[in-house]
Amino acid sequence: MEKVCVIGAGSTKYGKLQDSITDIAIQASVDAIENAGIEPKEIQAGYISNVFGIADKQVHLGPVIMSDLGIPEVPSLSIESACGSGSVSFREAYANVAAGFYDAVLATGVEKVTHTGTEWTTTYFSYCSDFFYEGGAGASFPGLFASMARAYLAEFKATEEDLAMVAVKNHDNGLLNPKAHLRKKITVDDVMKSAVVASPLKLYDCCPFSDGASAVIICNEKFAKKHTKNYIKVIGSGRGGSPAALQGREHITTIPSTKLAAQAAYKMAGITPKDVDFAEVHDCFTIAELVDTEDLGFFEKGKAVEAVRQGMTKLNGAIPINPSGGLKSKGHPIGATGIGQIVEVFDQLTGKAGERTVKDAKIGLTHNFGATGASCAVHIFKSV
Amino acid sequence: MQAVQFIYSKVYNLLTKEEFINSAKSGKVLARKCTKCGHLHLVTTYFCQNCGNKGFENVFLDGKGSIATYTIITVPPAGYEKCVPYAWVVMKLDGVDLRISGFMANIQSPSDLPLGTRVKITGYDERGILIEKM
Repeated sequence: MEKVCVIGAGSTKYGKLQDSITDIAIQASVDAIENAGIEPKEIQAGYISNVFGIADKQVHLGPVIMSDLGIPEVPSLSIESACGSGSVSFREAYANVAAGFYDAVLATGVEKVTHTGTEWTTTYFSYCSDFFYEGGAGASFPGLFASMARAYLAEFKATEEDLAMVAVKNHDNGLLNPKAHLRKKITVDDVMKSAVVASPLKLYDCCPFSDGASAVIICNEKFAKKHTKNYIKVIGSGRGGSPAALQGREHITTIPSTKLAAQAAYKMAGITPKDVDFAEVHDCFTIAELVDTEDLGFFEKGKAVEAVRQGMTKLNGAIPINPSGGLKSKGHPIGATGIGQIVEVFDQLTGKAGERTVKDAKIGLTHNFGATGASCAVHIFKSV
Repeated sequence: MQAVQFIYSKVYNLLTKEEFINSAKSGKVLARKCTKCGHLHLVTTYFCQNCGNKGFENVFLDGKGSIATYTIITVPPAGYEKCVPYAWVVMKLDGVDLRISGFMANIQSPSDLPLGTRVKITGYDERGILIEKM
């Protein structure tokens, strides 16, 4: 297998954007291409992740983006894996470069949904669940994670205030990220007083619906060395699956696909969770970050709450989680999120993260899943 | 999918989603029991998740159990606007290692539904599988 690197990364701001889905996808792609210092003609394939292109009247995004980049002859793959689309797409790009099919490829994730309104997004997002049992019985996505939260709070004697601390921490980080959607300092009290969306989760426990696009250039090491000194290596890539419906899981407070993906990625990288300097994890709701950090092996089962109380996951903590602000504050344009996490790791490990830089970081991990973790991908990166 | 279900159910003499919905209306859960290892599945599974076997037999379970977890929805997806607030619940069925989720009307606050509350399946309509307190 070829060694695989990321040599360029770009992102639009996340939030309510005016430009079209193709416009923002192109903006992020061009940003990544220029950041890598390559020409579009050097790209041999495109991996485009998106879920609700239909909301902005453009599906089959791949060929449109390739054409707009002046390379219509280059093959592309348009990928949907719910909120995990970005990392799953990255994995396919990684696998094809590792296998030697291509020297350099583009992975772009994009979403444009805020113009549709809360009812449309709540309804269409529910189609990502196992619909016969979940969305089709009235479950919204906040509702599914709220069900995980209720089970977690009961099992591990945690409180709604503990959940709120995750949101406060991620908002603190997002304040330092110029591209974050919700750049606003909040308190535990603000979270507790925000409107209940799906008990026990309140509005400030939930990530926002966001528009946005992120892109990275993935290549083999020979190509990387030829173009730049400013690159990072992919040292681990893992994937996993879970029963699609929550009811199919023996333990509702853990996500099997995260564990499987993490084990595979750690094994490939030859490291343990202790070696990771920081992680971007899938905190679509506050409860998710607690579950994720346990499933990824940073904390024992049920101990993430204590870690958050002690500030271990803050930017200056023992294991900073979501220095970008996470889905909670940076935003969650679902097709772009998994790629956006990799953009953050690239920026962190190449000295471009500004005020939110994790000190002395060499190894960063990304964790991104679809729906309630039915599909998941974990990647581990190392600076050169 | 209809065709696949038809062929599969013919060959293996299995009842499908339509019968699952009918059985829910009479308070039962139509499940599939692996003929090789005995593992139980809901009706939407075609290969045993435990041993990979393809053969199942139809089993009708009593739709009674207790609340494993739930949420009370106040911001609903389309079609549920008039039901708010309502609960979406995961219930553990009595006597078997199987959970099933569904819709519960008239739940206002968490004090209405402590974890472990005894519940039963009472029907199926446009709101999905219907569950009520026993």
